[in-house]
Amino acid sequence: MSKFIERPRYLCTLGGAIATLKVLPRVIPIIHAAAGCGGNIANALHGASGYLGSGYCAGLALPSSNIYEKDIVFGGEERLTEQIATTLEVVDGDLYFVVTGCMVDIIGDDAVAVANRFHQEGKPVLGAETGGFKGNSYKGYDIVLSKLFTDFVEKNPVKKKNVVNLFGLVPIQDVFWKGNLNILKALLEKIGYEVNTFFGEGETLDNLKYAGAASLNIVVSDVYGIEPAKIFEEIHGVPYVIAPLPIGAAGTERFLRTVGEALGTKETIIEKVITEEKARYYSYIERLADVYNDLDFQRYSVVVADVNYAPAIARFLADDLGWLPELVMITDVLTDEEKQLVETRFQDFTSGIRPKLVFDTDTSNVSKHFNASWQKNNNDRYFDSFSPAFVLGSSLDRDFATSIGAPHLGVSYPLSNRVVLDRAYVGYRGALSLVEDIFGLLVGSR
Amino acid sequence: MDYIKDKAPPVREDRLRACNAYGGSCNNLVDQSKKGCLNGIKRTFSQTQGCQLNLSLAILNTIRDAVVIVHGPLGCGGANLSVAGINKNFQQLRDSNARGLLWVNTNMGESEVINGGENNLRDAILYAEKEFRPSAIIIVNSCVPAIIGDDIDSVVEGVQGEIQAKIVPVHCEGFKTKIMASAYDAVYHGILRNLIPDLDAEVKSKQDNKNQLEELQEKYRISRTVNVLNVSSMSRIDEYELVRLLKALELKLNILPCYAHPEDFLKATEASLNVSICATHDDYFVEHLKTKYNIPYVLRTIPIGVKYTNRWILDIAKFFGIEEAAERFIAQETKLLEEALVPYRELFKGKRVMIGGGEIRVVANAELLTYLGLEVVGMRAYHYDQFADEMLDEVREGDRVPFNVATGQPFEQANLIANLKPDLYVGHVGGNGWAGKQGIPVLPIFHQSNIFLGYTGVFEFARRLARVLKNPSFNRNLGENTKLPYFKNWYEKDAFSYIDEGNG
Repeated sequence: MSKFIERPRYLCTLGGAIATLKVLPRVIPIIHAAAGCGGNIANALHGASGYLGSGYCAGLALPSSNIYEKDIVFGGEERLTEQIATTLEVVDGDLYFVVTGCMVDIIGDDAVAVANRFHQEGKPVLGAETGGFKGNSYKGYDIVLSKLFTDFVEKNPVKKKNVVNLFGLVPIQDVFWKGNLNILKALLEKIGYEVNTFFGEGETLDNLKYAGAASLNIVVSDVYGIEPAKIFEEIHGVPYVIAPLPIGAAGTERFLRTVGEALGTKETIIEKVITEEKARYYSYIERLADVYNDLDFQRYSVVVADVNYAPAIARFLADDLGWLPELVMITDVLTDEEKQLVETRFQDFTSGIRPKLVFDTDTSNVSKHFNASWQKNNNDRYFDSFSPAFVLGSSLDRDFATSIGAPHLGVSYPLSNRVVLDRAYVGYRGALSLVEDIFGLLVGSR
Repeated sequence: MDYIKDKAPPVREDRLRACNAYGGSCNNLVDQSKKGCLNGIKRTFSQTQGCQLNLSLAILNTIRDAVVIVHGPLGCGGANLSVAGINKNFQQLRDSNARGLLWVNTNMGESEVINGGENNLRDAILYAEKEFRPSAIIIVNSCVPAIIGDDIDSVVEGVQGEIQAKIVPVHCEGFKTKIMASAYDAVYHGILRNLIPDLDAEVKSKQDNKNQLEELQEKYRISRTVNVLNVSSMSRIDEYELVRLLKALELKLNILPCYAHPEDFLKATEASLNVSICATHDDYFVEHLKTKYNIPYVLRTIPIGVKYTNRWILDIAKFFGIEEAAERFIAQETKLLEEALVPYRELFKGKRVMIGGGEIRVVANAELLTYLGLEVVGMRAYHYDQFADEMLDEVREGDRVPFNVATGQPFEQANLIANLKPDLYVGHVGGNGWAGKQGIPVLPIFHQSNIFLGYTGVFEFARRLARVLKNPSFNRNLGENTKLPYFKNWYEKDAFSYIDEGNG
């Protein structure tokens, strides 16, 4: 049985599926669901991810069967057939992907079979069951990717040694996904590989279609994209490596070594790239030497984020900035095995810092965990206060930051208090942006 | 009308024979509406829209000192994520201590679909009480619990005795209706049943506690008080304007339901008149207050633009027998306004405009734009029902101006804009971005930060309009560099090709 969630930081399976399709180039989602599902999701995706906007064919332009009571009583397959046919007439796309909401899954409409009938007629239509009750947004991402890897990616027994695919960084849930993919792609290109990320800048559906020729899948997550990676391996014979999201010098170095090892890349190449990138990184970071040390810019901190970001940010704060991330709250719904795996990511910071890690889905609990881990001042004259402090989380965590008198930077979904375009936080380059944003807040409030 | 004994109100398809798919002239629309032929028209191609749960939340999320429980799977009410950081500021314009939007999702998963979600709901209610100690806990019911038969009312009954907060169940499952505006009835139904006191009991307790003088003072106060019913998309400054207009007639205002505190609804029966600014929004509420508490209402028009603001004031003045004072006030206000508008009129002359938004607001806005000297070339409304008949009948050249009834459906709008080629789009949320991508200037209307109502609203509207027309570069650049997702031949077809009247 599942528990209620107070202010959840994700949508349902359908929400994640639509988000994933929305940002794939020229893919048109067709929603088979009650009318409000798409509208509600559109608002959440547009307004809570740094103002992403409606997009090419998303927002209120999403084709949707808008079934209601009568269709639910008599079945909605006929209505869906009509909707797919008319969508093919009106909406200009390269691939049409039917996704379903709770009601049609409950009444047993076979939307996938309807989509398949179009597919058999040579129309570029796919479908998957994504009823919201199956899980959260991340689940929708996994379902859609799995379906695309199974039915859209062309089989190719010949592998290209220098081509890799990269996924596991969930678009929109990672508000900075597009900028982040750019950076990871550039890094891997630098060590000699062509990269398909499917959702990245300048990519087309062909990057996905011909992804079967890759020699390795790099999953930038301990949890998300793993299921699709397994399916990819089964169908296309491409192995995968897990290389968690890297932010900053410490994390990115690990990332490059992990990937290099899996690919059998020459160590000298990896070392050369690390050396070059680090030199560039520190040529900028060096500028902070004065302000950091003159104004004492070391901070205690609290991180509230998903399972991809939380370890990456905490490691960056501890190992790159020399900060004291005392509390990290991971807000996803995870299994016990997943939690155990993620815990290990916090055990080997080079700084030796071990933040207190909690898994909790409820927003109000951030302050409870904080109070449990850092004692309140009971009117003591001499008191070790949590100060100076800094909070990195979603816009839902602004109130918590205010309550402990800390500045707040939005890094995780939902973000409705900042605009995000091509900003990125991963790698060496992204970390420089993160430093600009964090220290910008510190100097801005002087 | 008395549905209050029922757990849920009827949907608007049944109660008002409302429609959300039409394309044709204004005159034909009014004819069809009067004959009742619009009901049930559908689209063979459709785009997504809101549902009554989404729209219910738009109102309920504003209520101060309340926790909203969304009973459904995780995505239901997910749009809350986009307003969570913003809503607090608007609440704090009414109460600086307001906490902003707090909500809980019952997170129904596969196991709840099979075994029922009543336990999740009960746990969520108890948690909301313990964690936040709110004045009200509002439950919105989504599709899934409705179809699997969760009995939320009995959960509420079972748990109400254990907690302080008033629990307000709102039955607004999305699949029940195509008319998003059914949300207004669902919300008011919940408020009427749970936040507004039983009048008999209240009168008795007052008699017990008050002396004769206090009673007379109270009666006098009530005789000069009106409830003004606001909508969630209007601003605090809009409310100040309405207060100003009615204060000039020596009347007092209670402003409900948006941004109110749950306790404010106790005062809903302490007024001698209910005044709506939008019949579509309020008819269910005011009818019930009339039936149950014998409070009359004014429901005819919306105070947008000079003509309808005048009408709105006069309707109220007539009720209190103070038309002469109202006429004097109106004359003075309109004179000042017209003088202020002189510098703008030249700029607006002959500009062709398309308008989108709620049915009543669109028609009133057309009147406003015509008054300012623009030419209205098309209108789009989220839905249509009888409440706009009178106003739409008065639209000049109503046989020529196309009217599109569409909840969202930006593909129809794109076609209309491509073919009508207006110089300007004026719209409520949802269609503005799409119009912007077609390269034309856009003026958004109804916003929590702008004034739009009354005489001040007319001036501010003109001022904003002039600003938008002065430099439309942003949208012009967008128009040159973006493409809407429709095939080229869509723009060559009739905009209403996918409206299937055969199903009516």
